[in-house]
Amino acid sequence: MSLEITHLVGGYAGFTVINDLNLNISPGETLGLIGLNGAGKSTTIKHILGLLPTRQGRITLNERTLANDPTAFKRQLAYIPETPILYPELTLKEHLQLTMLSYGLAEAEAWPKAQNLLTQFRLADKLDWLPSHFSKGMQQKVMIVCAFLADTPLLIIDEPFTGLDPLAVTRLIALIEAAKAAGKMILMTTHVLAQAQRVISKYAVLNQGTIPVVGSLAEIRKHYGLAPSDSFDLLYERLSQEQMHG
Amino acid sequence: MDKLAKARLRANLKQSLQYLSLVFNDFFVLALLFLVGAVMFWYAQSLKQLPTGKWYYPLLAALLLWLPSLTGRLVTLLKPADQQFLLTQDRYFASYLSKMRRYSLILPTLLLLLMAGVVFPFALVKAQLTVSTYVAMIGFLLLSKYSQLRLAARQLYFNQPKFATWIHLGTLALLIMIAYSQLWFLAVLSLGWAYWWRSSTDAVNWLSAIAQEQQRKNTIYAIYAMFTDVPERQLAIKRRRYLDWLLAWSKKTHNPNLFLYQRLFLRNPAYLSLVSQMVCFSVLLSLLVANGIWNLGLAMLVAFLTVYQLAPLIQAYDYQLMYLVLPIDPATRPRAGIRVIATAINGYGWLVGLSWLCLLPWSWQVLWQVPLLLIGVNLLAFGYLPLRMKKMEQK
Repeated sequence: MSLEITHLVGGYAGFTVINDLNLNISPGETLGLIGLNGAGKSTTIKHILGLLPTRQGRITLNERTLANDPTAFKRQLAYIPETPILYPELTLKEHLQLTMLSYGLAEAEAWPKAQNLLTQFRLADKLDWLPSHFSKGMQQKVMIVCAFLADTPLLIIDEPFTGLDPLAVTRLIALIEAAKAAGKMILMTTHVLAQAQRVISKYAVLNQGTIPVVGSLAEIRKHYGLAPSDSFDLLYERLSQEQMHG
Repeated sequence: MDKLAKARLRANLKQSLQYLSLVFNDFFVLALLFLVGAVMFWYAQSLKQLPTGKWYYPLLAALLLWLPSLTGRLVTLLKPADQQFLLTQDRYFASYLSKMRRYSLILPTLLLLLMAGVVFPFALVKAQLTVSTYVAMIGFLLLSKYSQLRLAARQLYFNQPKFATWIHLGTLALLIMIAYSQLWFLAVLSLGWAYWWRSSTDAVNWLSAIAQEQQRKNTIYAIYAMFTDVPERQLAIKRRRYLDWLLAWSKKTHNPNLFLYQRLFLRNPAYLSLVSQMVCFSVLLSLLVANGIWNLGLAMLVAFLTVYQLAPLIQAYDYQLMYLVLPIDPATRPRAGIRVIATAINGYGWLVGLSWLCLLPWSWQVLWQVPLLLIGVNLLAFGYLPLRMKKMEQK
């Protein structure tokens, strides 16, 4: 039971972004994928989601691959994108119904859970509204509610704190902690390390399409020659220097 | 700002000409020529038969002349990014708008002159208006349009009264007064009124101005979209709560694709508006043709065109990222699409059939044409449509 990415090479047509990337997430683990803009974090996620074809390598989720059974593979993961992507024609309630339909959730069990999530994110009174008319922060909350409602073994969260109010950030961190405790796998990209540190078990630094180091913050510091007293932001300086010197 | 206005007007003209060349394609021009010819022939015949000097003729002439003044909203060509990049340009906005105002006058002026030419024989011969009164009416309308555009430009600033509807109605009332009592001075007064509306010293209401322009452009794009694809068109999804009973009425589905397509059809104007327009078009054709077998043939042709244009509904989410991420089985797409389109085209069949029964002269022929139309639309939905969808999915 794990997400395994081995020797992944990929990117966009005629442009390689990911180059021999290896990554492993086990149940109950939250992996923080960090790196500079353009390092390939979102591209890696797109490969896991099956939005981009892999040129080389293999992505398996609980022994299943996207090529073998796309629907079964996708049923094991939920995704919270950096920018909310909603169906303009669906109300909030219908987004939840669609999530239940797609993931084959029993409504009798899913609705109480949905109500709980909606209350936590202060959306319970907006069920009949079109979320496409919500503010960006509220739209992001809809994405969070739908993803946690799906209750999948793997949760992929891209820059989760963008646009959220402090209350929502606290609630989201609590949900991630609970999911982690329930044995879910979580892959998260973020630049906001101060908030992410509370839930991330290990970090993977992505630089120039590959992951040179995976480990705790202390291990990452050591790898990049940072003193314990140094600000972690210095890591990004080092990554930038590495990029400049090829 | 002046340079920007000129550049935007040039780009807009270029884009409009591109779309107009697609709208006025060979078939449409031919159809238009026949239509205009038929209307002109009918008009010439009617002029010969109409009695002269009825009291309501000047009113009718005024109404017809007033219609073009409803067109030609203020073109501002503002873009969403302007609220960021032009925020500091309030002082120069009036000069930008004066160029836009001049451009905005072109369409209503052309339409007014065209209408003036068409109405002229009726106004002079049948309504017995003098040439000077007629010219005064035209002049007044031109001045009024100019005033409306000045007012529209001023309303792009904060703290301005909104009375666009009253302006239109006031124009009509004054026009009728000129037609009946030859009060030419009203035209002169309106000229003074137009100049009285000077530029505002308030701040520009950028958000509202940009929203108005987006709405105006979307209206234009919607017209182009009847003839060709318009990628720039932004569809305003409407909640349409009053149609929720249709969703409640249809059986609860376990197919996510059907769930999506039902809502897409009801709330996205591209689909529901298309069916509504096709129903109206078919009913209008039936009334004009008023011939049994032709009515059936034309209604079937319109039904085919409707089904053909609705078929891409199943590809509506092809580039929607969450649709691709969600575990939705793509194999159920055609079945779901056929069900939604079949319901829509049956609605079309029933509405057109009912219009035949209610609006056409009664005959037994109509009674058997209605079931034939319903059989025909179902053949399209369950015979032709699956083949077309299969082809689309293979591409």
